[in-house]
Amino acid sequence: MDDRRRRFEAQVLPYLDDAYRFARWLAGSPEGADDCVQEAMLRAYRGFDSLRGSDAKAWLLTIVRNCHATAFKQQQRRAQVPLPEEHDPLDGQALISAEPDPESASIRQDEARTLERLVARLPEEYREILILREVEDMDYRAIAAVANVPLGTVMSRLARARAALRKHWLQQVEGAPDAMR
Amino acid sequence: MPCAESLQVQAYVDGEVDALAAAAIERHMEQCAECRALHQDLLQLRSALRNDLPYTETPPALRARIMRALDKESAPASPARQRAHGIWRTRSFWLGAGSGLGSAAVAAALAFVLITAPFKSAVVDELLGAHVSSLMSSHLIDVVSTDKHTVKPWFAGHTDVSPVVADFEPQGYKLIGGRVDYLEHQRAAVVVYQHGAHVINVFSWADERQSLPGKATRNGYHFICWKTGDLDNCAVSDTAWDELQEMVRLVQGASALEQR
Repeated sequence: MDDRRRRFEAQVLPYLDDAYRFARWLAGSPEGADDCVQEAMLRAYRGFDSLRGSDAKAWLLTIVRNCHATAFKQQQRRAQVPLPEEHDPLDGQALISAEPDPESASIRQDEARTLERLVARLPEEYREILILREVEDMDYRAIAAVANVPLGTVMSRLARARAALRKHWLQQVEGAPDAMR
Repeated sequence: MPCAESLQVQAYVDGEVDALAAAAIERHMEQCAECRALHQDLLQLRSALRNDLPYTETPPALRARIMRALDKESAPASPARQRAHGIWRTRSFWLGAGSGLGSAAVAAALAFVLITAPFKSAVVDELLGAHVSSLMSSHLIDVVSTDKHTVKPWFAGHTDVSPVVADFEPQGYKLIGGRVDYLEHQRAAVVVYQHGAHVINVFSWADERQSLPGKATRNGYHFICWKTGDLDNCAVSDTAWDELQEMVRLVQGASALEQR
């Protein structure tokens, strides 16, 4: 293995899972996410010299986002992340899960699905920033770099995304009092 | 109408404020019920998101596929071609990947690269990479100044070379600052000029006793390289040829004056 490849594997490859998660939230389908991540890793490898000691994770996620944008432009609007159907067979797992109380486990599972679906329904420019903050645990500056918006926009989109999410979440769980916090 | 401090409360929850600001926000929350509630809401939402959103990992099959693709990419077939299609060219690569027409265009571009840059392509590749990444990132300028008496001494502390720094605003080439880039395994001084809507990067680095390409065009960017004493210089931009030529003439003129 040559030196360049070794450095790439040491500096960039550790963020593959982050890239994949981010792509899953951006892309319109699991296959779309796969293609997007593979393309992003190739681009990253080819452009590795431009990394120059900057934040490798933010750099890689920026490339993922660019790949997604290009692919998205190509296939025109398939906006939402596909989420598991409300009654897909995997739901059964909650019933046989190892958690102590099967009933509350299944309620928790529902709640998680609800939240996941609500996040997926956020407009993309809000969703990506929320995901970068809450899932990828990035700071405002890195988020601004990845999303290519000013810091102030990161803050205001984050605030609006959170407010919208919370509002819809409360609406959703109202019908299921046990599931409420 | 939310409290004016609500974004501050959010920044506090996100760990974006220093200790002093944090103390101020905590004091504010003691007074402001709305912000207290917001603080609670944000914490609850965070714990819900972190517990409930799936923390997916890359499927092993995909990881294997990527490693194979990297193997193919690392194969020593044609390093020039890989670099030429680095990050700055990937848009066309990606567009082209799907269509025969695009692939043909990529092939044509490759042929162009291979034919026009047989010598010293590594330097041009590095310069191209440095130029394009300076335009893409926020790292265009390390020292922002239109004053050569600010920019020139700055280089003294940051690189091993002392390039020509002059403002040619009357001639239409405005000095906007300086930057340090890594080039040929050393720190190169980059003087940044603005010409109309175009950025011109003038790189200077210590001579490696290799021949320079003179002139080159790569990916739509023009390169003019020359030597002054023991410095290698290269001006890179997407301006028209004669405009870049004029820039080089001005810098060379200023350099002749400096050496007198």
